[in-house]
Amino acid sequence: MSGEVKIIEKERISTNAVMLFGFPDVGLVGVIAAAHLISELKLDEVAFLDSELLPPLIVLHEGLPHSSIRVFGNNEVLLAVSETPVSADVIYPIMNALIDWGKSKNVKMMISLSGIPIEQRQDAEKLEVFAAASSPEMLKMVQDKGVEVLKEGYMVGPQAIMLQRCANMGTPALTLLAQCFLNYPDPEAATEVLKGLEKVTGIKVDTSKLLEKGEEIRLRARDVMKRTQQELSKMKKAQEYDIPVYVS
Amino acid sequence: MAARKKRSIFEIVEQYFEGMEEGVERLGETLTEKPSWNCRACTMEPLHNIMIAPDEVTVTVDLPFAEEKAIQVKPIDVNTIEISAKMRRTIRFEDFGITHYRGEFQTFHCRMYIPVPVRMEKMETRFKRGMLEIRIPR
Repeated sequence: MSGEVKIIEKERISTNAVMLFGFPDVGLVGVIAAAHLISELKLDEVAFLDSELLPPLIVLHEGLPHSSIRVFGNNEVLLAVSETPVSADVIYPIMNALIDWGKSKNVKMMISLSGIPIEQRQDAEKLEVFAAASSPEMLKMVQDKGVEVLKEGYMVGPQAIMLQRCANMGTPALTLLAQCFLNYPDPEAATEVLKGLEKVTGIKVDTSKLLEKGEEIRLRARDVMKRTQQELSKMKKAQEYDIPVYVS
Repeated sequence: MAARKKRSIFEIVEQYFEGMEEGVERLGETLTEKPSWNCRACTMEPLHNIMIAPDEVTVTVDLPFAEEKAIQVKPIDVNTIEISAKMRRTIRFEDFGITHYRGEFQTFHCRMYIPVPVRMEKMETRFKRGMLEIRIPR
């Protein structure tokens, strides 16, 4: 299936980078965080994804066509970001192709940035960040760096595929999840997940603009959030609220 | 060749209803595809959600840039509420880098259908961090 998805490189791709993923999910945490990283780190588009599995959609920037799934980067970071929600029907081949491509570039670690919805989010004064890891070593690493571990539960979406595939391939990987709104764009949660990223990798960005522009981001992200909700419902995202049966 | 597993009548009925549900869902998506803004009325449709609990219905509405004092929540009939909220600033398409549409927006507006009987007269609202919460007892 991966053969139907091509990653087209536009520039020389650095090796030993940290590969990040920012895909539409709850609170659009990953996408908002990714957009901020691209702007603050001045990342260039280095590759894009081409596949007939994707809907007939392009993103126009300055009048020119772009793939809705692109990889931005510099010498230290490769950041895969999708500007539209990826349909549940094609999420596996898309994610697998990106992960295999990252592996071929010898990335030292893969991290997906995302959210975990909480009830009464508007009353939460402090948003916590949790991590899940591909291996016991990675789990210890995040704990040593002060990030709490998401011990039990279900994970649904691109980050779930990324974590499982990396665990199978022996590639170090993490998913960072900030507490967030389920169905509303959440720039505050994106700020927190970026702080978590800094703790784990040392990748530091000024997040003050993200908070200053919070209302503008929420307004701008309404349409993507609405479409993301529809896709998340098809993926049975609400299963993340379920209490798992523990099977040791 | 492995023998084909015989399906029970329950599996066939379940599959039939699943197929029907998917069809209805697709039709619903097609019918409800519309812009989230209305240039003629100068309004934007806010993101909103509804949660139904045994004792109450909670509606939340995301209202960035809304002025708290200019938020109105009105019951239209026994099952519908209308929400409008004036924004602190006028929003233009250019603010989002869009130049192929013209228009400006000063108000959020939406109507929500409440799918269970509720006591509209007991409705309570609160506004915090740009999020409107409406609680209506059942």
